[in-house]
Amino acid sequence: MEVELLEIRDFLASHHPFDQLSKESLNSSLGDIEIRYLRRGTDIDSDDGLLDSLYLIRTGAVELHNNYDELLARLAEGDMFGYRASHREEYENIRGVVIEDTLVYQFPADTVDALCDKHPQLDYFLAPVGGERLREAITHVGDEGDAQLSMMTAHISDLIKRPPVIMPPTATIRETAVMMSEERVSSILITQGEKLQGIVTDRDLRNRVVAKGLDYDLPITEIMSTNTCTADISDYAFEAQLQMARQNIHHLPVVDGDKVAGMLTATDLTKHHTTSAVYMVGDIYKQNNIESLQEISAKTPDLLVNLAAADVTADSAGHVITSVVDALTCRLIQLAQEKLGEPPVPFAWLAAGSQARSEQTAKSDQDNCLLLDDSYDEKKHGEYFQQLARFVCDGLNACGYFYCPGDMMAITEKWRQPLRVWRQYFSKWIEQPEPKALMLTCVFFDLRCVCGDRNLFRSLRKHLQEKCRGNRIFLAHMAGNAMSHRPPLGFFRNFVLIHGGEHDHTFDLKHTGIVPIVDLARIYTLAAGINAVNTQDRLKAAAEGGEVTEEGARDLQDTLEFVSFLRIEHQARQIRAGKEADNFMSPEDLSNFERNHLKDAFSVVRTMQNVLSQRYKI
Amino acid sequence: MTIWQHLFSIEERRNWWMRKMPPSPLRDYYEVPFPDVESDWRQVDYLALDYETTGLDEHKDEILSIGYTTINGSCMRLADATHMLTRPRCVIPGESAVVHGIMDDVASSAETLEEVLPHLLRALAGKAMLAHYATIEYHFLSNACKRIYGFPFVGRVVDTLALEVRVFRSQEKPIQQGDLRLANTRNRYGLPRYRAHNALIDAIAAGELFLAQVANRQEKRTILKDLAVVS
Repeated sequence: MEVELLEIRDFLASHHPFDQLSKESLNSSLGDIEIRYLRRGTDIDSDDGLLDSLYLIRTGAVELHNNYDELLARLAEGDMFGYRASHREEYENIRGVVIEDTLVYQFPADTVDALCDKHPQLDYFLAPVGGERLREAITHVGDEGDAQLSMMTAHISDLIKRPPVIMPPTATIRETAVMMSEERVSSILITQGEKLQGIVTDRDLRNRVVAKGLDYDLPITEIMSTNTCTADISDYAFEAQLQMARQNIHHLPVVDGDKVAGMLTATDLTKHHTTSAVYMVGDIYKQNNIESLQEISAKTPDLLVNLAAADVTADSAGHVITSVVDALTCRLIQLAQEKLGEPPVPFAWLAAGSQARSEQTAKSDQDNCLLLDDSYDEKKHGEYFQQLARFVCDGLNACGYFYCPGDMMAITEKWRQPLRVWRQYFSKWIEQPEPKALMLTCVFFDLRCVCGDRNLFRSLRKHLQEKCRGNRIFLAHMAGNAMSHRPPLGFFRNFVLIHGGEHDHTFDLKHTGIVPIVDLARIYTLAAGINAVNTQDRLKAAAEGGEVTEEGARDLQDTLEFVSFLRIEHQARQIRAGKEADNFMSPEDLSNFERNHLKDAFSVVRTMQNVLSQRYKI
Repeated sequence: MTIWQHLFSIEERRNWWMRKMPPSPLRDYYEVPFPDVESDWRQVDYLALDYETTGLDEHKDEILSIGYTTINGSCMRLADATHMLTRPRCVIPGESAVVHGIMDDVASSAETLEEVLPHLLRALAGKAMLAHYATIEYHFLSNACKRIYGFPFVGRVVDTLALEVRVFRSQEKPIQQGDLRLANTRNRYGLPRYRAHNALIDAIAAGELFLAQVANRQEKRTILKDLAVVS
């Protein structure tokens, strides 16, 4: 090429995907350009060669319509359409309308194919499936610190490398100690059959045997700790780490249902990484009043900034941030019990919405409810639980988790009920679905037991799943609601283009990017009777169960990660600038790269929404 | 202006010179017929052309660089984009170097006009010359041809400045100073502003302006005669 074409090369170089090409590649592709001027009002359809060339807009604006005359996109400087670019959304009869006098750089189809052969970066960008691109984008943004914090999403099963070292209760102290030194372990599990009886650590041998001059031939049961807490093999490793911080222990037996599955040590975990969140959570359990809890939770924004700086995945960050509010909730319940006494009947404190899904960020309201044992008698016990709920919800509000505007909280009497009433609620919502009621109660279809009697929660979940499973009418209603949050069409200059051609000045990351995916995942979960609550987990489980295609689920998972990551970075930027974090991003703040990948994200969500609405014939 | 220009069309002059002229790149150029003035404008090939010169007097000043690319109908192709420096026979005046940025040491390593001209004539064969204020391009070229080959250059010429004057006249708008400058004219058509100044980017700029001007014509059919200044 002639160096004198710098003006044109610089334009290409500042636009995705050409920005991915080397200078030399750009220079050699300049010769392939044809320049055309399209006057306002010009129509370009497939007869005019719309799909025979790839068009890059230099100045001006063009709209794309389908054959129902629906607006598909409005494009401006730096945007592309035509060959390959328009396949992105699999439009069939696509028509271009020039809405401002436009200068275009045109690459004939065979040139585009040749360029794509030569430059994989272009080929990738001009591939029809947006999900592939998003996957690439995520590795692009997250690869640095990811490994360090992968344990946030790792399950305990990923960390346990060897079968547990065990001894029967009949073994002597000496035999146990010999076994421990042979196996080079600092702790050992005492099991009867596959059932866990207790645990013995190096420290026990020191404190309870040597220091006390105990006979080594006594049975090991003399010195083992029996009421040890355990972790389930399917729990998050991070939860186990929190549990160990909370209890100040270094060994945690792991069970798989009733069976002993292994031992998790503090070293296993610190091999990975510890974050300030763990210390925050440890701190929370040491506080005795609201004021000091407030002080700690005021550091949550800093935590988010640190997570963003460490380049962790959005999914991990969600787990970490949520662990703070979980700990706050548990500590508030403990403090309430210190004040009010032991609970008169068993209860389970359930988190709803984003806390339940472990997807909180800097800006979250509280959504929760209280599930009581059926032995609950309002006259006798009502006062206790009302005060407990008041104490916890007020505490959360004081700590920055503000009261839910829709009163979806345990302080609302309606949401502080025994199991039988909750069952009735769900029966009614599921059997006689009303769109408006469902919109409000939707938050209760994401539930997680944060504190209290897990069995109570399991009974409710079982009931809910039995009612939902295969209930097409209910699922169709949920699907209908899910369609109320549609992603935008794309961007037009520094505006967000929404359906019908309207413009928005900002892009609502939450409602147009994240909520639609959360909604889709919830429906798959309800349809298939899946336990998972976290959206990433739900999508994975739904794909395994065949509720959604592997590819569809993967596209949604990556899209969610991409948009959530953008949100975390956006909020971290706001916090660093001393502003309050929100969910609104201006298109001006988006890089070319982000803009293009967001368009892919929108198209993935739209495709999956369309699949769902066809399935439920909405 | 010689009397011949008034008495004979350029087509007649082409035929006349072709018979008289010894073989040369200029004669090769004349071998190819000029585009037909009655052709629809989209059927015509154009060569968007620009020079950087040491000044505006074709008899005294010299061409320093030549940039061009082709337009086939409504499509400009960068595949043919060419930029050539020419070695002047004199020292480049300081004031012109400020405009075009071509310095003596660069220019002295360039080819002579005699070496460069055949490329330009080959590119122009069968095409209409297209430039903004084409008088300069036309007369510098003709003067160079006379000096080197002994015969003048003629051809079809489209001038975007002349086209723009017609636009102003047809709208009965007064022309203010600077209105007809290439950058200002482009701006009225929504064309991008190019920062750089060199013969090739200015040739492309003129070519894009031409495409915009034709696209904005109200007439149903436009033939080359409607656009050309010399025919």
